[in-house]
Amino acid sequence: MDKDLKLGIFLCDCGGTLSKDIDFSLIKTKLDKLPDVTFVNIGHGLCLKAAREAMQKDIKDKGIDRVVIAACSPEFCENDFMNVIQAAGLNPYLLSIANIREQCFWAHPDKEKAAQKAIAQIGMAISKARFLEPVEQAEAPVTKEVLVIGGGITGIQTAIELSNLNLKTTLIEKEAALGGKLNRLASLYPIQAIPQELLATKLKQLAERQNIDALTSAELIDISGEVGNFTARIKRGKKELERNFGAIIFTTGYDTKFSNQAYGFELSDIIITPSQLEPMLMSTSEVKEIPGRVCFILDVGDEHSRVSTISALRNALGVRQKFGSEVSILCRNLKVDSATLESFYRDCRSQGVLFIKFDKPPKISNEDGRIRIEVEDILMAGQPISLPCDLLVVEETSVPPRDSDVLSSALNIGLGPQGFYQENNVHLYPTLSNREGIFFAGNCHADLDMMRALTEASNVALNAYQLLSQGKVTVEAERVAIDPGKCRFCLTCIRACPHHAIRDVRVNHEKMVAQIVDLACQGCGICTVVCPAKAIKFKDWSDDQILAELELVEG
Amino acid sequence: MKVQKATSPNIIAFCCAQSAYQAADAAGFMRLSYPDNIRVIRVPCAGRIDVLHILKAFEKGVDGVLVLGCHEEACRHLLGNIRAKNRVQKAKSLLQEVGIDGRRVEMFTLAPNQGPRFATIASEMTERIKELDSMKPQG
Amino acid sequence: MIIAQRKPLEDIEAMLTGYKKLLVLGCGTCVTICWAGGEKEVAILASQLRLASKKDGNEPLTLEATVERQCEKELVEALKGSVQQVDAVLSTACGAGVQTVAELFPDTPVYPALNTMFVGMPDREGVWLENCRTCGDCFLDRTGGICPIVRCAKGLLNGPCGGTNNGKCEVDPEKDCAWTLIYRRLDQQGRLDLMRKYYPPRNFQAVIRPGKIEALPA
Repeated sequence: MDKDLKLGIFLCDCGGTLSKDIDFSLIKTKLDKLPDVTFVNIGHGLCLKAAREAMQKDIKDKGIDRVVIAACSPEFCENDFMNVIQAAGLNPYLLSIANIREQCFWAHPDKEKAAQKAIAQIGMAISKARFLEPVEQAEAPVTKEVLVIGGGITGIQTAIELSNLNLKTTLIEKEAALGGKLNRLASLYPIQAIPQELLATKLKQLAERQNIDALTSAELIDISGEVGNFTARIKRGKKELERNFGAIIFTTGYDTKFSNQAYGFELSDIIITPSQLEPMLMSTSEVKEIPGRVCFILDVGDEHSRVSTISALRNALGVRQKFGSEVSILCRNLKVDSATLESFYRDCRSQGVLFIKFDKPPKISNEDGRIRIEVEDILMAGQPISLPCDLLVVEETSVPPRDSDVLSSALNIGLGPQGFYQENNVHLYPTLSNREGIFFAGNCHADLDMMRALTEASNVALNAYQLLSQGKVTVEAERVAIDPGKCRFCLTCIRACPHHAIRDVRVNHEKMVAQIVDLACQGCGICTVVCPAKAIKFKDWSDDQILAELELVEG
Repeated sequence: MKVQKATSPNIIAFCCAQSAYQAADAAGFMRLSYPDNIRVIRVPCAGRIDVLHILKAFEKGVDGVLVLGCHEEACRHLLGNIRAKNRVQKAKSLLQEVGIDGRRVEMFTLAPNQGPRFATIASEMTERIKELDSMKPQG
Repeated sequence: MIIAQRKPLEDIEAMLTGYKKLLVLGCGTCVTICWAGGEKEVAILASQLRLASKKDGNEPLTLEATVERQCEKELVEALKGSVQQVDAVLSTACGAGVQTVAELFPDTPVYPALNTMFVGMPDREGVWLENCRTCGDCFLDRTGGICPIVRCAKGLLNGPCGGTNNGKCEVDPEKDCAWTLIYRRLDQQGRLDLMRKYYPPRNFQAVIRPGKIEALPA
């Protein structure tokens, strides 16, 4: 702690609203007495341009080197004030804010007590300010190349979007051909196009671009390094490639499986999955016997998904249009929460698809080479219906693609409860993983319809663009830093970091120590606490600062 | 030697910036009233709080400590809140070892929009500490 | 590395009754890594000692320090100034560290805050397992790198015994049978011929205790 600090304290009465309840001049008198406080000002609205300019002038004129602001919540104003003081020539991290509005006057009706608390909180902020340290900025170079893993429609679209943004892209696909499910679907929703024709168009777009390298029969072996500087090893037949990337995007999609356990019976010639139905719809001439009635069944296993609802509706229409069969869909509840899915449902009904809603799962039995379904229709007050049908299409569950658990633990990327990749925040950051520079798009992390998946392709291309477009990123240098002299290389922080942001390096040609990768660090402070040797310093949330805030507890 | 004031226990609330700090702000927005003896220390993640911070708080004369973080499975840093929970458990036993009731430190989880929950936690903890204070001998 | 564990606080407090000025001294090597006696644990223990005596009003002066390796005379000697200010030293090092401090400062009582438990390794975060008994006559070459003295309940050199039970030990069914593990490891390496050899009883006096090694400085 520097004894010759010049603290500048700026009190804000929030447009005059707070000075009704507290005598700021009394506080100013108290604070003026502190030896390291050089300047105390009472302002009437620090969010106003004039007030900020005045603050900058005061900082420069009075030689203030630590700024304490007592105002509204730092959740609102912190970034702004950091910019303000930076413009005045002060390092933006030399700022401490006391929340005297939301957490004092707005929360405590007894104004005298609120004033006491405000003084205490200001005192805590001043104590903290004495231990603030500057954090400088540095430029971290990043590789302007992106790896997209998974060559289905989402991966292809992502590669195209990245290419449009002038980012060199490598697209890898483990099968021999690109396209994923587009090769195997008879129709699409909500895009009105023949899947194979859409795929052909996209492949042509891919081929036209010079900055996309699409590799089929290629599998990811592992990825090392951190954001801006990943090294991926890729296996292609007998060869192994190693390439550098600035960002990695997973578009590995999903697999499907039929749960005979949930249904209680096995598949057969006349009980099939949607995956088995699609080829029948694609080449109807090869179908030996056109089924008279086709039934689709949903919701017998776990609560079904958007993907299986869309598949059932889409295929039901396909059967109506191509076979002319009678079609019924049996379900517990129809999830139509995707764009335009509600009206698609109505289309199906207007084209003659019947919907039967049940509560108790229907009874399925074999009867002379046909199926008999017995179900209680809840829309008809539970009236039992007995339905013979020639072809029963059951529901497939979406499951994570093979090896996602292996990849996830090798790369330290979290999986959600069903084994799909876990987004940073399901609503706000659906394409972000827990690691900087690694993103997801499409069904590998959520149950999406095709439109959403394609939107995510654009979204994630922008994520990569924001990161890589300049070839370098400005980063807080050593905001969290490990002292190599104290580091025991016990590996605790490397194992504990949730964002895989700590790497091992050799210093002075001999000692191995842990080192934090500034660009990958998300500032949680977990490493700081777990380090048994107390070798890690977190500059803007240091132990000294936290313990200093405890000093003024007695108010 | 600080005299315990039974009418206004000193409670420090370590609040995670991702959830609890915002919930405290929300409580203010909604003009919910909660005890004013709570002093808030903002941290980037509940996982930033060390057992030592809790012990030092009691050394400084605090009567109760709240550790407030995100709901389990909602931590942006994956296990920060779980680590905090484990550390609070450890702190409880370290405090018991020195004759300080482990119930004086507690962890709660909340979401950033749970202003009412913040207010409730603040009130309930204040009541709990007042009760513990009234049970212990003076000095 | 050496794995140790802090003694119960009441045992430590019993050692320290009457002392007004203490130095709590940590070690930055093994006990740091097993979370028993590093800088962090020194701070926590000192904090607890202060809290414990607050009620009686007898708060001791507690100095806190940690040296890189407490078994190094030169490093411990550097603390002379602090030791002179106190009545007693509470060491959070392993037994080697405690005794080094005790020898260098014979006028000051030095107390052990830890129990030194075993030589071992971290298994996963927070878990340390014993894997070496420091017998002085290592034969890990013959057992595929798995020590039966530590891991076999009977310490057999020519195991398994007749009580091996589907890979588990008859003495402690929770434990894996060390010789099953050894067999599998040797099998993996194509060295099962070693299992056919008979090994005579080991030299129990390979290390005359207290152990000592002398080498010419060169």
